Amino acid sequence: MEIQSSEKSCKDVALTVLTRTHAGYFRIALSLGWQALLWKILLKDSRMAFPLLTILWSFSLSILLLLSLLYLLRCIFFFDMIKDEFSHHVGVNYLFAPWISWLLILESAPFVTPSHASFVVLWWVLAVPVVVLDVKIYGQWFTKGKRFLTAVANPSSHLSVVGNLVGARAASKMGWREVSVFLFSLGMVHYLVLFVTLYQRFSGGDLLPVVLRPVLFLFFAAPSAASLAWYSISGRFDTGSKMMFFLSLFLFTSLICRPCLFKKAMRKFNIAWWAYSYPITILALASTRYAQEVNDGVAHAIRLFLLALSVLVIFGLLLFTAFHPNLLLDPTPSPTHHPTTFPTYLSAN
Amino acid sequence: MAAKQDCHDIALPPLIKPITANEVDGFNEAKPSSKPSTVHPPSTSVFRIEATSMLKEEDGAQGTRSISINMPPSPVEAHLQNTKRVSFTSGDGEVDENGEEHEAKGARSHSQPMPKRNPVYDRRFDSFKTWSGKLDRQLSNLRGVPTQEEQPRPQEFENLPVHRYFDALEGPELDTLRAYEEIILPEDKQWPFLLRFPISSFSISLGVGSQAIMWKSLSSSAATSFLDVSPHINLILWLITAALTLTVAVVYAMKTIFYFEAVRREYYHPVRVNYFFAPWITLHFLALGVPPLIAQTLPQYLWYILMAPILCLDLKIYGQWMSGGQRRLSKVANPSNHLSVVGNFEGALLGASMGLKEGPIFFFAVGMAHYIVLFVTLYQRLPTNETLPKELHPVFFLFVAAPSVASTAWAKIQGSFDSGSRIAYFIALFLYVSLAVRVNFFRGFKFSLAWWSYTCPMTGVAITTIKYSRAVTCRATQILAVVLCIVATVTVAALLVNTVVHAVVLGDLFPNDMAIAISKRRPRQRWYHKKSGSSDSNIEHYLKYIDSDSDEKDVEASIHSSSPNSQD
Repeated sequence: MEIQSSEKSCKDVALTVLTRTHAGYFRIALSLGWQALLWKILLKDSRMAFPLLTILWSFSLSILLLLSLLYLLRCIFFFDMIKDEFSHHVGVNYLFAPWISWLLILESAPFVTPSHASFVVLWWVLAVPVVVLDVKIYGQWFTKGKRFLTAVANPSSHLSVVGNLVGARAASKMGWREVSVFLFSLGMVHYLVLFVTLYQRFSGGDLLPVVLRPVLFLFFAAPSAASLAWYSISGRFDTGSKMMFFLSLFLFTSLICRPCLFKKAMRKFNIAWWAYSYPITILALASTRYAQEVNDGVAHAIRLFLLALSVLVIFGLLLFTAFHPNLLLDPTPSPTHHPTTFPTYLSAN
Repeated sequence: MAAKQDCHDIALPPLIKPITANEVDGFNEAKPSSKPSTVHPPSTSVFRIEATSMLKEEDGAQGTRSISINMPPSPVEAHLQNTKRVSFTSGDGEVDENGEEHEAKGARSHSQPMPKRNPVYDRRFDSFKTWSGKLDRQLSNLRGVPTQEEQPRPQEFENLPVHRYFDALEGPELDTLRAYEEIILPEDKQWPFLLRFPISSFSISLGVGSQAIMWKSLSSSAATSFLDVSPHINLILWLITAALTLTVAVVYAMKTIFYFEAVRREYYHPVRVNYFFAPWITLHFLALGVPPLIAQTLPQYLWYILMAPILCLDLKIYGQWMSGGQRRLSKVANPSNHLSVVGNFEGALLGASMGLKEGPIFFFAVGMAHYIVLFVTLYQRLPTNETLPKELHPVFFLFVAAPSVASTAWAKIQGSFDSGSRIAYFIALFLYVSLAVRVNFFRGFKFSLAWWSYTCPMTGVAITTIKYSRAVTCRATQILAVVLCIVATVTVAALLVNTVVHAVVLGDLFPNDMAIAISKRRPRQRWYHKKSGSSDSNIEHYLKYIDSDSDEKDVEASIHSSSPNSQD
């Protein structure tokens, strides 16, 4: 009896975990991946940092493996939930997150260089789903149907743009210029359309529930990623990259000057809080490249500030997550996967 | 009515009593029962009629007086009147100087027959004064003039929501009051000069300043050297601009000190807020057009000082666009928003002229990103957008300003008039031509000071053409440059004549500024008003009539409707 009940509870736990692990959890993997990439670039020339980089990278890899496994199991056992996610205007963008995370892990691997054959193969394995998702989602934006842009545009749509730009950056590292420019232009064109649409904000209410306000940080993640991608394509941090970086900096300042926007979202800890981390990391990375190019006091000050902020935020989030294991393991039933409660579902608490 | 009367009676000590002129003398005695009080809630026309009739009898109120009954439109209002005193139509200084404390809790005797209007202290404008006139009283205290007693700050003046501006005002510059709307300041009297002085007065210095730059370019550019233009014209114009800017700045500073509430309301006005960039743009023009006799180069810290306010304004306004809420772009977009974009581009141009590198690129990038958004939005002429005039109005010339300044700025940043600059310049030229051929449609508009800001784009295109003809020197470009300069100069001259005529002959250069005096609530009687103004609806519903009271309800995000106090 006891064994039975413990088995049962094991099963319950497993069920709960699987039902609650939606694509938004990949935010953790995204944040860790970008951190790993950031530190790899910062400490590129220092031999002694190699062990540190390896530890960081391995940690990120393990988290990503765990999340991917869980999500795979979820795909197998709860495919309906995946379909629900796909049809939700916020959830659909997080379907890019696993591919972006794997691309980042690939790029930040300490022992793999872009010219490796394995890199190339893995890049193709990861980039093709991104393009497929692009075709599906961007096609929906401008063709007939219910999911046209003004109906579904919301800040998390930036994630699709970031996906294209990360793919472009990785491709240019491999030396594949045309593919890289292809992905870059794809991302930028849709970024332009999305940027204008989001600024116009046709419908009165926000399509983003209050709890998901941290996702607003994606507003400045996309131009920073564009800046990095263009840097990789053109070879130096030229005016185009600078302009994207400055735009990103401006949007960042604009958001942190408005703490009231995020007050309601900060009431309870939430997986959405992880959305604070990776945009800051991307911006820090772009500022590093900028400081390398310009090399004056102000640039270095900005870079140091952003680096410090990014490390602080990710440490804070790791601690918070460690102290809230109920994120994944709470046996209390999560809100059902009823479409109307999906927004709360995505925030997982 | 009876119910309301009862309500009122319960709420206040019995104040309702018909009075005749004879009872005026016993007016100030502490007899609650004998005090009529006609409070002026801001938006009830019924009372205005009474007030107007009372106003006409200024000389001691000896004429026959009809019943003045206080009838608040709702119990809520009665409560409001209890707790807050709506002071702007209070009785005169004369009444209060007796120092009588009215025991009616908060409900003062307002608009009772006014025996004598004290010429200095017309208290109807108190609500607009800084700290409700406390500063005024302090100053008059210092001067030794007897003052009135303190009044509690009217709490009505919180954030005026943007839909009130759209509801209450109309016209391409959102400055004309709709027929059914009421304002909280007296309509029939000319307001104090400072209250009538709008921020768009800075446009004059904008217009003249851009002329100064144009004449500087004409005299110094190699492409137009055949004209042999004297640099003294630039000097004279620059001095005039400097003097004008100083004057306007001083007057507006005084307005900010004495009538801060009015300045706040201008800031919340969706069109006027863009003119808060105008002072800084004018300073940029002064720096750009500085004659060589006065200064050859300017110190770099000056640029940082000039750009700091623009950065703050950018963060505020563009942030509002981004975070949505009431002031999102699809609702408030109007051609005057180009001024904010032009501010960024001018800053970039100035910085590049001073030799800075990174800062100009920063402002250029920010300006460019937001210009794209604005440009698309305005070109769409969204049905949900109220402020685009259906007929052409000189404000449309602002469309030409942004690409021409962007072109000049990019040329300065890059060091040469390259493809990027040329693309922007040709866009500006195209827009200019497409407006110029429609010049017939620009007729029939009421002159306003803001028209000066529309000359600045014409001059801007002329300046860019001069730079372009420097890069591509041939007969055609030189002729184009000269023609555009002539057109710009003639326009400015015509505008100057118009301004002088309005100032001196007609005397209405500064009419009562209705736009800042709109009430917070709609007038109660809605049955006789026209179709309501703004509607915050889904695009698919724009053709239906929508009561603007329900404009906060959003069809699409039914779970998450925006609250009236949402992020602004």
